[in-house]
Amino acid sequence: MIRIQLKPRNQWQQKVEELGFGFHSTEGTYWDESAAYIFKLKEIEAIEKATNTLWEMCLEAVQYVIDKKLYRQFAIPDYIIPYIESSWNNDVPSIYGRFDLGYANGKIKLLEFNADTPTSLYEAGIIQWFWLQDFDAKKDQFNSIHEKLIAYWSNLKPYLNAGLLHFACVKDSLEDLTNTEYLRDCAIQAGLNTKLIFIEELGWDLDNELFVDIENTPISNIFKLYPWEWLVHEEFGQNIIKDKNHICWIEPAWKMILSNKAILEVLWQLYPNHEYLLNTSYTSNGMNTYVKKPLLSREGANITIVNDHKIIEESQGEYGEEGFVYQEYMNLENDFGQVALIGSWIIGGEAAGIGIRESKSKITDNTSRFIPHYIEH
Amino acid sequence: MKKSKHIQLVLITALLASCSSKKETEWSEGDKKVYLRSDSTAPYTRTHSSPLLWYFAFRSFGMMNNGQYVRGGYHSDAIHPKSNFGSNGYKSRISRGGFGRSSFRTGS
Repeated sequence: MIRIQLKPRNQWQQKVEELGFGFHSTEGTYWDESAAYIFKLKEIEAIEKATNTLWEMCLEAVQYVIDKKLYRQFAIPDYIIPYIESSWNNDVPSIYGRFDLGYANGKIKLLEFNADTPTSLYEAGIIQWFWLQDFDAKKDQFNSIHEKLIAYWSNLKPYLNAGLLHFACVKDSLEDLTNTEYLRDCAIQAGLNTKLIFIEELGWDLDNELFVDIENTPISNIFKLYPWEWLVHEEFGQNIIKDKNHICWIEPAWKMILSNKAILEVLWQLYPNHEYLLNTSYTSNGMNTYVKKPLLSREGANITIVNDHKIIEESQGEYGEEGFVYQEYMNLENDFGQVALIGSWIIGGEAAGIGIRESKSKITDNTSRFIPHYIEH
Repeated sequence: MKKSKHIQLVLITALLASCSSKKETEWSEGDKKVYLRSDSTAPYTRTHSSPLLWYFAFRSFGMMNNGQYVRGGYHSDAIHPKSNFGSNGYKSRISRGGFGRSSFRTGS
């Protein structure tokens, strides 16, 4: 994995905007084609293998958490536990997730798993693919995100309830809307009947005890780009278990276990010293250099990096109320003074491609840049 | 080959291109300003909520809860009752706005 500097395409902003990518420079530069990462095929195969292996380990870990009823460690409210267990026992399907991997000195390590509401899917699946067509169409890229999404939506058809598949996200985020509409685009191509709704507009029919859309159509299947931990703590959360339509929620409720950083501690317990894992526990005992992460946080908020008992970097935010995990620190800074993190997509249970986020900061947050990649055979 | 061979998009490009349209140029001194109500396609209706506010198309409503005002939604007599959203007694027994208050962006 090496980094090269490149001259961006002429009028690249116009090119990506024509693809519907409107947040390329929202908070400073986000899409950054002044650089690229080059991988050897064997490196990509190693990432692919790690992603598939981690997915299998995560499924084992969910079963373990459910069997041992470790919900307190995950700060999961009691009322939703039967619903989570039911979603797991009934194999309610998951479409996607993104493992954030560190890759240095030939070692691949799981930093965290964005299992519930991962974003940057459009950049990884579409924008960098079209970039490569302009840069050198003959080159390869670890990117079958688009075809895997269409294929998996198609596979899901028999598992969905009768009726529309709604897609929901928050109203005021173009990034969230882009990711949601991209997933809907793929579902349409898979032959599903879909409809967009904003999460704020979801209605609850008090008489019939059903969720309804803005035209009061009962909802039977819904993809939601909205975290489970927020759903269950909000006013309508209690309605999820009363819902007479038994909505098929995608991602499913059992993803609450995987999207919580307590899963990193469980994985280390189940697979101590595994080649893809970093030591993680609920205390920093015995660790001189570690990253303190809230169980529930987003976009790099409330992270503290400690080196030899001294804080070397920390980020602000509003998370941490539920507790923290302490994870062994992996130094990812490269020769360019950049910290690159590999977001490796799992779609329908298969490794599907990568997107790389880069920053000068040791903490990857919402100001980190997306850098395209290709494979050099 | 690990790369997709062909990519087709059926929905997203046109839809999102309209979301990311260029910002209007700022007004400069001397420009003639035209003010247009954002709800100008809706017929103006007489309000029932306050005799001091005679005309506006959508009325917001809500209630006080633990000392905080909780917005319920908007209502207009000018559109079909099913298209009004929010929760109040004189519309259908549909409650809205119970999700979405935790953040403005959810990605991770």
